[in-house]
Amino acid sequence: MTNGENAAGPEDIIVCRDVHKWYGSFHALKGVSTTVKRGQVVVIIGPSGSGKSTFIRTLNRLEHHQRGDIVVDGIELTDDVRNIDAIRRDVGMVFQSFNLFPHLTVMGNITLAPMKVKKLPAREAEEIAVQLLERVGIQDQADKYPAQLSGGQQQRAAIARALAMQPNIMLFDEPTSALDPEMIKEVLEVMRELAASFMTILAVSHELGFAREVADRIVMFDEGEIVEDLPPNDFFDNPRHERVKRFLSQIL
Amino acid sequence: MMANVRPMLRPPRFEAGVLGWAHANLFNSWHNSVLSVVVGAVLLLALWFGLRWAILTADWSVIATVGGRFVIGSYNSDQACAGNNCFWRPQVSLLMVTMLLGMGWGMAGGGVTKRIAIIVGVVIALFAFLPYSFERMGMDVRLLLLANVPAIGAGWALARYTRFGTVKWIVIFSVAAFLLTIILLRGIAGIPGLQPVAVQHWGGLTLNLILAVAGITLSLPIGIALALGRRSHLPVVKTLCVVFIEVFRGVPLITLLFMSQHLVPLALPQTFPRDSLLSAAVVITMFSAAYMAENIRGGLQALHPGQEEAARALGLSGWQTTLRISLPQVIRSVIPAIVGQFIGLFKDTSLVYIIGMVDITEIGRTFILGNPEFRISTKEVFIFIALAFWVFTYGMSYVSRKIEGHLGVGQR
Ligand SMILES: Nc1ncnc2c1ncn2[C@@H]1O[C@H](COP(=O)(O)OP(=O)(O)OP(=O)(O)O)[C@@H](O)[C@H]1O
Ligand SMILES: [Mg+2]
Repeated sequence: MTNGENAAGPEDIIVCRDVHKWYGSFHALKGVSTTVKRGQVVVIIGPSGSGKSTFIRTLNRLEHHQRGDIVVDGIELTDDVRNIDAIRRDVGMVFQSFNLFPHLTVMGNITLAPMKVKKLPAREAEEIAVQLLERVGIQDQADKYPAQLSGGQQQRAAIARALAMQPNIMLFDEPTSALDPEMIKEVLEVMRELAASFMTILAVSHELGFAREVADRIVMFDEGEIVEDLPPNDFFDNPRHERVKRFLSQIL
Repeated sequence: MMANVRPMLRPPRFEAGVLGWAHANLFNSWHNSVLSVVVGAVLLLALWFGLRWAILTADWSVIATVGGRFVIGSYNSDQACAGNNCFWRPQVSLLMVTMLLGMGWGMAGGGVTKRIAIIVGVVIALFAFLPYSFERMGMDVRLLLLANVPAIGAGWALARYTRFGTVKWIVIFSVAAFLLTIILLRGIAGIPGLQPVAVQHWGGLTLNLILAVAGITLSLPIGIALALGRRSHLPVVKTLCVVFIEVFRGVPLITLLFMSQHLVPLALPQTFPRDSLLSAAVVITMFSAAYMAENIRGGLQALHPGQEEAARALGLSGWQTTLRISLPQVIRSVIPAIVGQFIGLFKDTSLVYIIGMVDITEIGRTFILGNPEFRISTKEVFIFIALAFWVFTYGMSYVSRKIEGHLGVGQR
């Protein structure tokens, strides 16, 4: 078991201790504690409304938690604006609906943050962008607008955009659930390559084949709690909890 | 079995051409056909009587009699500019405007700007050949009008061959030209040739345009600021913006204009001269800004929340997100509403007549009232005024459609 109250070691890049989150009176996260080591790939699954999105969104403070501690790459997440800015530079995020900026070209989407946040000169930002576009396999789409790309290409552009800030952690929130099967493959391919490059990854995804293949751990959420946290083989072959069995039987 | 005996298919008979269009759109069912015939007949009748009146009955000479007054009011009359010729002052302003149009054309290299510059140039040049006596319209006036053609050329060349052909410089020149226009028209006491001309005298379309230009250029940024302020997390800022918007939206423009004469001076230093032009411009701008703010706010609400989230997740600050992600998308999506409002603002400038200023409508009205022999020409006068407004508003909506097309609004 990787979660627990053991003190954060140097290899622990994300440490959550008893994290609670309420939306109004609705208790969305009920004491989540877990630790992620540098380079680990964690796939998060769970029923709809179980708090998966809420949890990974607290990790770059798109949502703020009301109780407990979150430490990401040595920075404690508090209301301190400087900490929040530092975290967001260090954590890339990819959304289910891509959220590319429709008024900018793919190149514009990718170079914006490096130029405005890191103050890189345009040339340097573009060089990085070209490399990343090649890495995600859409080097010939740089001058198109998002609306001119297929869903899979858009999601790969969104991944390149997040990588352009050279983050240490990548968060994915159901990156393939808005895509057709062929496009799912091309996006998973990019994520697989990313996992192989020792990026720390937290991905909400119900692509179980992908999870079995690349995940170091599979974490299952239910009703705002972590109910299971096991390496893929154990998770699929001998889950310990009834809830996990029930959930797996529903989606398999 | 049937597949290999497929006959050569001709296109259905009425697919293409005018007939095809009419068949598909006007006569595709019996009730649509009846409607088309009735509407067509009414339109033809209206056109027939309209044209017959306009060509045979109407006496357009009244327009020639009022003439330049529609454009600039009584600016060049003896009361306005005692003993002197002031006509060159608005003319120089016009030259600056046409030169800017030429610069726009030179920078864009064609398209809408070119079309507008050429149309404006031709129309102004035609005015120089009006069959007035030289006594009423001197050679100097005509030459200055003609000079607008080379002015457009000069602007074009300036933008083309110097470093001034950028948006930044054109904006700077435009602001300078606007301020210079005000100074020129208003005059400066003590400088020969520039004696002050009271605001009551510089009316006509020029007044409508000056108020509209000031209102349009200022109400957009103020409206944006108000819309952002209304969404601010700071209660003081938010409250101020809400109060401002609700007050200016909740009171009729006419009432505001009446109040402006007494309230705007209160906000200015005692030594500042009372100035109805400034008061009117401020009120019209604020009034428009309040509506603009709500248009922009509507656009902000319609923006997909994922846009701001993605920007923040990348580490962009709140301001960067607003300026680079939200506003560009919002402004695109509300261009039709913005332009509609600009058109409304332009038309509303006519209301300044109630604080004693003489816009083009007021000139028509007082002319008819003051010259009973022309009462019979009321129709012609107001049709002409309506046309004058329409030309400008149509120009605005034409330009906005071009901009929308250019930005690809609605096809993201
Ligand atoms: N902004 C919000 N305001 C109020 N309630 C919210 C908000 N966001 C999420 N919730 C609630 O919190 C709970 C957890 O939501 P969350 O989006 O984290 O679920 P999820 O596990 O990601 O589900 P899904 O698989 O459907 O994406 C849900 O019951 C949801 O209704
Ligand atoms: Mg979710």
